[in-house]
Amino acid sequence: MGKSDGQVRMSLQTLRVLEAFLENPSEQLSGADVHQRCGIASGTLYPILLRLESAGWFVSKWESIDPASAGRPRRRLYKLTSTGLKRASEVFSSFSRGVLA
Amino acid sequence: MSQKAQLKSRSTAGPPWANRASHWLIHHAAHKAPGALSDRLEEEWLADLEARASSVSRLRFALGVCWATRVIAHEHQPAIVAASASAIAPKLLVLQFFTSGRFSNRSTTFFLVLSLHVAVFYLVFTTLSHTYTKFVRPEIENVSVERRTPDDPPPTFPKPRVAGAMPVEPTMPNVAVPLDPAAGTPGLSEASEKTGDSADPSSGEPPHVVRLVAGGPGAGFPDPDEFYPSRSRSLEEEGVAIAQVCVNPTGRLTQDPILVSKTGFGRLDTAAIRLARAGSGHYRANTEDGHSVDSCFPFRIRFQLKK
Repeated sequence: MGKSDGQVRMSLQTLRVLEAFLENPSEQLSGADVHQRCGIASGTLYPILLRLESAGWFVSKWESIDPASAGRPRRRLYKLTSTGLKRASEVFSSFSRGVLA
Repeated sequence: MSQKAQLKSRSTAGPPWANRASHWLIHHAAHKAPGALSDRLEEEWLADLEARASSVSRLRFALGVCWATRVIAHEHQPAIVAASASAIAPKLLVLQFFTSGRFSNRSTTFFLVLSLHVAVFYLVFTTLSHTYTKFVRPEIENVSVERRTPDDPPPTFPKPRVAGAMPVEPTMPNVAVPLDPAAGTPGLSEASEKTGDSADPSSGEPPHVVRLVAGGPGAGFPDPDEFYPSRSRSLEEEGVAIAQVCVNPTGRLTQDPILVSKTGFGRLDTAAIRLARAGSGHYRANTEDGHSVDSCFPFRIRFQLKK
């Protein structure tokens, strides 16, 4: 199910998603949060999230809240893994050198 | 399940139909996702749907996840095929090929456009070929038709109704000859005589001879050239017809004339009948001792082109 790191297709939308996570690598973001930060449509956003999760860059888990008390359903939260943080940093540093990763 | 009901009940912003449509789209989109992700994606998308404020934004989100489902299903397809290929026969691979996204989008559009082009070209070519064959004229073939000569043997005529016992040979006046009552009548020149039944041989007196004169066309009879069909003239049709007419003492027809001998050309036969009808009132009835009587007689009608 998982993909190796080299198989992650680095599109412009993928870079924007990674950029949203790199602002605060320890922060957990839901799909709605990423949409608010990047403005990427849902048809593109969720395949990217699943693709990066399958490649081991992200991990996801359900939000630990009580929907009744919170007044909203629980969300799926994504977080950069150490591998994802390292690979994303390499990608963006390659941009600074003028080389596309 | 109760959690999903709660989620639906909380999405009350905007028109109800928009919320129902959004939930319906997300539900069906998640249902088409790979089985391991179906429940997770549905719950995740419904939760993220709640973060959208307007109903339009929600509908856009729901439509977007429909597209996301197709992409996700397509990306997870090789893993599913690889897992099933070892256990299931290669037939499933073929089935997977057709049910996967290989024939969607660009391929489907390409085949659809190709099929439309083929259909249009087929219609155009079949229509043009049909028009072409429709205006092809058949070759004209010359067929030699045996020309009928007027030398056919004359038919037998019914004997004229004569008061006397002795039959009189009918005469055949030719109407093509200019008629001149004053110049002479053919019938008169061929008058025949017979002995009357009232003669008494024992009385010693000479028997009374009834002088019979056969009838025919009289003065003012129409000219056959006036009834000569123009089509027959152009085709150079000629012939002789014999018409049988019955007239009263004044020369008027008492029955419709009939042809007892035909020319061999339908147009000339019709013209002969018309001529015989037109001559009503201009016939000379048979005469007995100079008195016209009801009589029937044939006469010849010749249609001959003038050189």
